[in-house]
Amino acid sequence: MSVASGNILEVRDLQTQFNTLDGVVRAVDGVSFDLARGETLGIVGESGCGKSVTALSILRLIPPETGRIAAGSIKFEGEELTTLGEEAMKRLRGHRISMIFQEPMTSLNPVLTVGTQIAENVVRHMGVPWRAARERACEMLDLVRIADARRRLDEYPHQLSGGMRQRVMIAMALSCDPQVLIADEPTTALDVTIQAQILQLMLELKEKTGTAIVLITHDLGVVAETTERVVVMYAGRKVEEAPVEALFAEPLHPYTRGLMRAIPRLDIEADAAGTRPRLQEIPGLVPRLTQPIPGCAFAPRCGFATERCAVESPPLVDVGAGHTVACWEVDRVRASAI
Amino acid sequence: MSEQSTTERPVPEAPVLQVDGLVKHFPIHGGLLQRQTGAVKAVDGVSFSIARGETLGLVGESGCGKSTIGKTVLKLIEPTAGRIVLAGQDISALKPGAMWPHRRRIQTIFQDPYSSMNPRLPAGTIVGEPLENFGLSRGRETDDRVAKLFERVGLRPDAMRKYAHEFSGGQRQRLGIAKALSVNPDVIVADEPVSALDVSVQAQVLNLLIDLQEEFRLAYLFISHDLAVMRHISHRIAVMYLGRIVELTTKRTLFTQPLHPYTEALLSAATAPDPRRRQKRKHIVQGDVPSPANPPPGCHFHTRCPYAIADCKVIAPPLIEVAEGHHVACLRRPVGGDPGPLSVSS
Repeated sequence: MSVASGNILEVRDLQTQFNTLDGVVRAVDGVSFDLARGETLGIVGESGCGKSVTALSILRLIPPETGRIAAGSIKFEGEELTTLGEEAMKRLRGHRISMIFQEPMTSLNPVLTVGTQIAENVVRHMGVPWRAARERACEMLDLVRIADARRRLDEYPHQLSGGMRQRVMIAMALSCDPQVLIADEPTTALDVTIQAQILQLMLELKEKTGTAIVLITHDLGVVAETTERVVVMYAGRKVEEAPVEALFAEPLHPYTRGLMRAIPRLDIEADAAGTRPRLQEIPGLVPRLTQPIPGCAFAPRCGFATERCAVESPPLVDVGAGHTVACWEVDRVRASAI
Repeated sequence: MSEQSTTERPVPEAPVLQVDGLVKHFPIHGGLLQRQTGAVKAVDGVSFSIARGETLGLVGESGCGKSTIGKTVLKLIEPTAGRIVLAGQDISALKPGAMWPHRRRIQTIFQDPYSSMNPRLPAGTIVGEPLENFGLSRGRETDDRVAKLFERVGLRPDAMRKYAHEFSGGQRQRLGIAKALSVNPDVIVADEPVSALDVSVQAQVLNLLIDLQEEFRLAYLFISHDLAVMRHISHRIAVMYLGRIVELTTKRTLFTQPLHPYTEALLSAATAPDPRRRQKRKHIVQGDVPSPANPPPGCHFHTRCPYAIADCKVIAPPLIEVAEGHHVACLRRPVGGDPGPLSVSS
């Protein structure tokens, strides 16, 4: 049983699909990963790789009119979520699993004070009286280091800065002591100094509360500085997973390598003449997900690709120390310079 | 791996764009009669210059006025005060009609090129429009020139018949670049041109911008919040905070020897794709950026600055050249002062 194994969340062969005018989009195409108690897991990838849809699938927030979880299993503390009734799911969301989004303004209610919004969640899930819930809200605002918390309880979202709104979202998400916090691009809309504050806050709160975090981001810098383990997604599939140090020290999937070479880096010095290496482009575009992809989804853009890559999908192979990669040519990749 | 020179080369000639004491205030109206009750000092006395072939980066957080500077030098909005000299001509007071012949010289690339493209026109027409507007070519000649531009920015000429929605984000940014290039400008104002792009595509666009600069000796005013992008593309960088430039120097100096406490805070807050750097994270600057409608007196940064002294609360430090080519606006950084770490004030 998963509880014994120390995993609070186990996702297996998740497939989430959307019906569009162009056909069925396989947004998530067979993704598996585990989340250990108290762990910070990063899910990284570019737009359309399925990272957000994976998060929404875990919370069963895929709109039923257009999408569905087509296959796979999501177990939270051993309980299967894909078949759980909506009422039970509602008791779970915002309580044992909660989520924060990129743009707090769109997830906060503009006509309710932040105190009311946090307290509402506490009343719903903890069954405490309103007064106690307000106290809890005040405590939470203190916890996320909003100065003058008691006065802020009566303010509306538009009266707060972007960084403060994200703090309120974190306060709300943590108000019922969740076991899992899913953070989808939580700092992408924020300025760098505020991003640094929020990331530091999330890590401190994780230490304090023991909440496991799934951090979804496109930003390799954020991943490197906050997570313990990383899942790299491409075109709806997991292509690589590794402890964060291993992933950055020796990325093994050609896509991961491509990403790392494509980003301008602050930590790479120019040579004596001030010349910096040219950014390495990843040629081509992300494939359309309306057609089944028989081989490796990255093959058309990959410098290592062989004929086999185009027709046969590579399995995830464990190369040791918790580092798995889905690439037929991993030995050649490993032998080449990073 | 191919190398390219984004070296800190000397500036040998008169600047192609010179900005002196630029001020842009936006009035705030309030009360029953909607009288002016204040002003957002979006840009509050900013001076800089850019030479041909040079990239000046403007970096800062939201609300620091960097985009307002871009719009003002493009004369999309009128400056409140100050001088803008474009290729020797003072354009700051020119009315729209008189500005028209000069518009060709300064073009822009937006963050979201899609919103600046007519969805009903084929891409070739969009890119060719400035050529026809400025009377630089007509009909078939325009088509030929547009086809060449498409090739130059890495698009297939047969894509001229496609519509904006048929292009990916990176391809649209290429279209935006082709359009800006079409009229042979001297200066391109690029406002967050790669912020909306995925990293793999961002690399393509940055490389293209650098190649085009070398080919056409373009001057870029490059506006971004992303320090890593900035460091990659800029020759010199101006750091802005609440409407003022707080530090202006070569890229190399800025990253190896930042002098302004805000620059230090920005560099410290930036993330790097290297887990080993985690432990090295220095102090994180606390608090939010104050409102530009009501900035703190003295040095705008004093409310968040660990090194602030009593004078910082009352004296607005001027931007002075403390070492060759290194301009800083900080009372604790006098001319010829020790460039080492500042002591934290109690």
